[in-house]
Amino acid sequence: MKFRLIVLWLVVGIPLLWGVSKTLQNALKLFG
Amino acid sequence: MPSSFLDRESTVAPAGYNRFLVPPAALAVHLSIGQAYAFSTFNLPLTKLLGITHSDPSDWKLTDVGWTFSIAIAILGLSAAVFGRWVERVGPRKSMFTAALCFGGGFIVAAVGIHFHQLWLLYLGYGVLGGCGLGIGYISPVSTLIKWFPDRPGMATGMAIMGFGGGALIAAPLSLLLMEHFKTPTSTGVLETFVTMGVIYFMYMMIGVIAVRVPAANWKPAGWVPPVKAQRLVTTANVAVDNAWRTPQFWLLWGVLCMNVTAGIGVLGQASPMIQEIFSGRVTPAAAAGFVGLLSLFNMGGRFFWATISDYLGRRNTYMVFFLLGILLYSAVPTLGHLGYIELFVAAFAVILSMYGGGFATIPAYLRDMFGTMNVGAIHGRLLTAWSVAGVLGPVLVNYIRQFQIDHGVAKAQAYSITMYIMCGLLFVGFLCNLAMRPVDERYHYRAPKPAK
Repeated sequence: MKFRLIVLWLVVGIPLLWGVSKTLQNALKLFG
Repeated sequence: MPSSFLDRESTVAPAGYNRFLVPPAALAVHLSIGQAYAFSTFNLPLTKLLGITHSDPSDWKLTDVGWTFSIAIAILGLSAAVFGRWVERVGPRKSMFTAALCFGGGFIVAAVGIHFHQLWLLYLGYGVLGGCGLGIGYISPVSTLIKWFPDRPGMATGMAIMGFGGGALIAAPLSLLLMEHFKTPTSTGVLETFVTMGVIYFMYMMIGVIAVRVPAANWKPAGWVPPVKAQRLVTTANVAVDNAWRTPQFWLLWGVLCMNVTAGIGVLGQASPMIQEIFSGRVTPAAAAGFVGLLSLFNMGGRFFWATISDYLGRRNTYMVFFLLGILLYSAVPTLGHLGYIELFVAAFAVILSMYGGGFATIPAYLRDMFGTMNVGAIHGRLLTAWSVAGVLGPVLVNYIRQFQIDHGVAKAQAYSITMYIMCGLLFVGFLCNLAMRPVDERYHYRAPKPAK
């Protein structure tokens, strides 16, 4: 159950973090 | 796939099931359908399908393509309202599967429309079919999460609805990446991108379909005791969906959501030109895109933050903060722009957009507090018609008032001031709706039919 919990959170967490980092890179241009 | 796999009975969790397995299932669906907010990345490429490097006279116009998103959002609200009761009856797995079929299939039908250059197929595919996927997918996991987290309903639904905000953050770079990958001298790559995204999103949503579980009847979190002392605006009763919309509370909440969304959605759509025009010469288009990105981040983060806070602060108090702080910030924005305080201007809009997202994420828990858990998903579906109205009202207010002022000789930098004060007025209406909130009259409460003697 614990393994499934980690895998599921990674499956949703990794794409979300990727999207957030891309957006953050873009957002930093505002202060560049 | 045997049909029984999709039935509610097959999704009942065994004893000892870890409830934290359910939010990622909901997130898989919301992260996918949140793509809708990034549809604008396709707008320009869709106007160059024939000309490839430029818009051919027989290419679709930007205004024609722009309708696709509007149709999808309008259908989202309508389908959530129409299918809410069905979603409640069949359970989250079958409804999430239907949403995956509609949303993924919508991309494929739209791709056929792109192939044959038939605009109506784009509207039918992404707008109507995809819009049904959005509406059904949006409400599918809500009541399930509320039942799994009776102790923290705001946090649980906030987590899922945060996914809808986060979906755009993934879809925007993903769409650009795919279009770049599929681009050739004879193709913009949009057709291939639509097919790929349709397949990817269908498969990703299937993770949610497979993982979702509903709690067994009368299940409670270990060690949690329902509060003995009833709170004034948190009911222990239930109201059926057909009665809920006859109560004044439903329409007050409708007003609360509509005003909160209208105030945010118009700004979100015009954020890039707005900051460039108010700070003319100081903000480049690239920096303006950064501003839009920053607002999207706060829109997403606010969904989790405010919905979680509402578990401690109470739902009505949280909306009071949205409306009062919103009025304060909106009324300060013209002055901040006039004085050239760009950092404070950005900060004000970041907080405003966090509350816009927070409004979406806190409403399911507010509905639970007012109407109970029995039909909360279906009631939520009907309430989302407020979103459809706000989706039209917000952009129309911002765009037309700006244009009206410019046509009457107001400088572009000052053309947003009146709009901001109108937003304050809308938020004040929302404040009054929230202030008028009272517990639902007992005559609307659900009473189980007495067994025949």
